[in-house]
Order: sequence, then structure tokens, then C-alpha cells
Amino acid sequence: MLVQDVMRFPVVTVEPGVTLEEAYRLLLEKGIRHLPVMGEGRLVGIITDRDIRLATSHLNPKGPCPGCTRVAEVMTQEVVTAHPLDPVEEAARVMRERKIGCLPVLEDGVLVGIVTGIDLLDALLKLTGVTEPSGRLEVRLPDRVGELARLTGFLAGRGINIHSLLSYPENGDRVRAVVRVNTLETHLLAEGLRQEGFEVLWPPKKPW
Amino acid sequence: MVIYRDEYRLYNFGPSHPFSPVRLEMLTSLLQALGVWREPLVPQEATREDVLSVHSERLVKRVEAATRGERVPDLEHYGLGTGDTPLFPGMDRAARILVGGTLEGARRILAGEKWVLQLGGGLHHAQYDRSSGFCVYNDLSVAIRHLTRAGLRVAYLDIDVHHGDGVQWIHYEEKEVLTLSFHESGRYLFPGTGHVHEIGRGEGVGRKLNLPLEPFTEDESYLEVFQVLVPWALSTFRPDVLVVQAGADAHFLDPLADLLLTTRAYARIFPLILEYAEAYAGGRVLFTLGGGYSLDATVRIWALLYHVFHGLPLPERLPEGWLREWEARLGNPLTPTLHDPEVPYPEIPRRQEIEKRNRLTLERLTELVRPHLVH
Repeated sequence: MLVQDVMRFPVVTVEPGVTLEEAYRLLLEKGIRHLPVMGEGRLVGIITDRDIRLATSHLNPKGPCPGCTRVAEVMTQEVVTAHPLDPVEEAARVMRERKIGCLPVLEDGVLVGIVTGIDLLDALLKLTGVTEPSGRLEVRLPDRVGELARLTGFLAGRGINIHSLLSYPENGDRVRAVVRVNTLETHLLAEGLRQEGFEVLWPPKKPW
Repeated sequence: MVIYRDEYRLYNFGPSHPFSPVRLEMLTSLLQALGVWREPLVPQEATREDVLSVHSERLVKRVEAATRGERVPDLEHYGLGTGDTPLFPGMDRAARILVGGTLEGARRILAGEKWVLQLGGGLHHAQYDRSSGFCVYNDLSVAIRHLTRAGLRVAYLDIDVHHGDGVQWIHYEEKEVLTLSFHESGRYLFPGTGHVHEIGRGEGVGRKLNLPLEPFTEDESYLEVFQVLVPWALSTFRPDVLVVQAGADAHFLDPLADLLLTTRAYARIFPLILEYAEAYAGGRVLFTLGGGYSLDATVRIWALLYHVFHGLPLPERLPEGWLREWEARLGNPLTPTLHDPEVPYPEIPRRQEIEKRNRLTLERLTELVRPHLVH
């Protein structure tokens, strides 16, 4: 999944000369929190709803920004950006490390989209979500060559279609695989997997 | 009034498939052995047009072609020819016969009948454009649409252990259909949907209710939330008729799921449903069958439903001759009484936590739909 698959466009932007009041009204009206600032067609900064509130609030420990009336005076100028072909986890990592809420997406210096935390949540839902009627298997595998192939091979042998497969590391030497399969009979599959020596975490074995 | 015909058993995916016609054979022979079987109304099969009232032409075309033995390259996109819903000769007609039974039930309700029990159908997974999970055509939605087109407001109650996804999606934007599904959480179980936040769209918003229950829920917790949610939803929505999918796969013996109900829960649920129909749905109720994959448990649960439906006292023991015959045929012992044993399975250690989670889910659901349902 790439940034271009989750980014929003067209992007709502402002110019540096716009008043803070106008910029804030625009944010409220569009129901968004980030405005890339465009000067002569290029990205020159970014301003958020929080920036505007801090600049105009007596609650700001540094006090409000005296005489600040325009976007250019409050905006952040060193903008962290992404490229449309960046992997989505790359964007997530940058946003997490820099503790920022969005990444304007630039291609050859042109603003082509924006990715926010909300879009990353959408991506997460898409990655883990249920798009087709399916049952769920959860299997713990040793973290070594061929284990996942053994699991998918078993399912293929049973004529089971895999709708999604998610795996993540566990305690260093194990991998947990969550598989969504097109069947109601996950118990039967789990039984078959156990007989093949797999550690099936879900569905559980019935004691009767 | 009971609706049934032997041809329901033509809906048969083969000897090793869990959705077995043997269930109906066992059930009808048990009711006969108990001396309570009354001649049912024999329904007509549904027409192609009836099916098209809720399904796409392209799905129906594919079912028909596959039934004729033609090779259809994109069958899997339509949920057919899969492990769960394999092809079988005569599939189209067999599915239409089941649809016909449930549709006949709807017609009888419109003709003034109060209580109808359709001993078949309940194919709640079939969607507008796709067969799914043992369900080729959606008999429930065909019946529900017939009722709404006649101007009735319909409440649909689904107690099958799997989410009633097909019925929910087909009527997702409809104001005059309330769907209410109790099921084991889709976090783990097929079809994976039926979360509390699926509450309908457009005019249907707040009228699609889902109570996803924790695995290992058991009788007590199930009945607790059932007795809060159903009367509240029905009294608020005020339907003209209640349509019930009475799947029996929430039972602890079921091989496909883990909700762990016993026959004692069903002995409470069925009379409650009749009470609710009297109090909140103009006294009209149409039952269908549904899932249920332990032959032993499913047959006893539906026999129980049949007795409650007719106001008959429940038998304690099952007839010896019937037990001997079926034990010989199936090659394994059957529960000799209508009810499960007093302590049917080992104690579940996380009971309190599970009860708490179910209460929380109920709270969340009520918070989500209240603003839309109450006005």
C-alpha cells in the first residue's frame, strides 16, 4: 500500500497573506485541521488549527503572538513531506517520529495530495478489515523459512481461498498469522492444522 | 400454520456438507414419532421473478447456468462453486423451493394468518449479488420485501450464531425494515461483519441492529441482553410483523461456533419471541429455520420450537424407536431427552468477564442507535 493509495486530493490550501481569522473559518467550514500554505504555486509552509489557537490565546504559556494577523507569521516553514510512491508504513513512521499530524504529498515540487493520521487509520482498517464474508484463523508459527508457505499450502490443498493475511512478530522467535478465509468451517480447518502440527490459537479446541 | 414440503431436502450440497437435508428428515420423523405432526401447507416454488425482487439478474443467470452444468468462468466472484457453497444438480430449483416456502409464509401473513412456521429456509447469508455461506438465494429477504411492498413495517430477528449479513445488506437503506441480529462476534467468526457500528445508511440509519456476543457467552448472559434489547427495539420501531430466523447453531454442541447455548435457553427464547410478537408486532410472526450443524442438538431445538409454536407440553424423553433408528443410521449415540443434561459441559472460567463485555456491547449499541430509532 502506497501513499498515493491513501492520500486525499484535491488539497484545501491557503496563501501566506490570508488572515488568521479567514484561515480558521476555512478549517472549520471544511472540517479539517491542516492547511498547506502555497506561495506562487509552491509549498512554502503549513498551518494547523492548533497553531492558530496558540497564536491567539492567552492560555499559551508564551503568550499570544502580538501583532500576528496573517498566516505567514504563524505557519511552520520547514515542512516535512511525502512522495506518492512512498510506502504507507514509511509515512506512518515519519509522522510518529516527528509527532506531526499530516504530510503534504509532493511530486516534482507540485502538491498532489495530503496524508493525515485519519487516512492512516483508514489504511489500517483496510489492511485488517473484512471485505468479503470470511472466517478467521489465528496461527502461531516459528519465525523461520517456509512456515508461512506450509500454512498457505495447507489451505490451498483444502481448496480454501485466502481473503487476507496479516502477520506480526511475537517475542522475537515467533510469528503470529491472522488469516481470513472464505469458509464457515474454521473449526474443521483448525483441527486439520493441529493434526499437521500447527499451533492454532483461534478457533479454540472444544473440550467436549 | 406450518409450511413444509419434502422437496426442501433437494437443497443438498452433498454427504459431507454440514448444511444437511438429514436435519429435516430427522425432525419430521421425530415429530411424527411423538404424534404431534400435523399436515403442513405445501408451498409452491418461487418463480425467477420472485428471486429477482432481491437478487441481481447476473447472479440468477449464473446459478441457472451452473445448475444446467454449463461452465461459468467467474462463478467464484458470485460466491458459487466454493467449498462452502458448491454446485449441485438442480440447485436453482432447490433454492427456489425454499424461497417459495418462506414467501408463502409472507403471503399467509398478509391473508390474515397470525403465526407461521416455515420448516426450512433461513438462508440469511445470500446477498444481492452473491451467494455465500451455504446460502444460494435469500428466502428471508424475498419474504420481507413482499411484506414491505404490501405496506407493512417488518422487524427481522436473527438468532443464528452467524451474523445475518445478507438480510442486513439487502435492506441496509430501508426505513421500513428493522434488522436485529444476535450472533457470535465477527471478530472471529464467519462472515466477519455484524459489528455494533453497522447501523444502516440513509433512511435505514438506526434500523439495523447488531449484538456481537463474546465467544462462550452461555445461556444466562445471552438471555440477559436478549430480554433488554428485543423488547426495546420492537417497542420503539413498532413493526406490523416479526420475521424470525431461528438458526440452532448457537448450541454448545455445534461444530462451527462457540456461543454455548443449551436447550434451556431456547426453551426461554421461543416463548419470549411469541410474547414480543403479541406485544409489539401486531401478533404476527413468521419463523424460518436456519443454521444448525449438530444433528443431535439442531433437531431437538427445532422440535422444541414446534412444540412451543403449537402450545404443546414438551416431551421429556424422545421415542425409543426413533432413537434406535437414527442412532443406527448415524452410527453415534443421540441425547435421549429433549433437553440437554443438567451440567452439559465443563465450567467456563472467564464467565464474569464475558458477561461484562456483552453488557458493554449492548450499551454501545443502544447509544449508537437511540438517537435515530427514538424520535
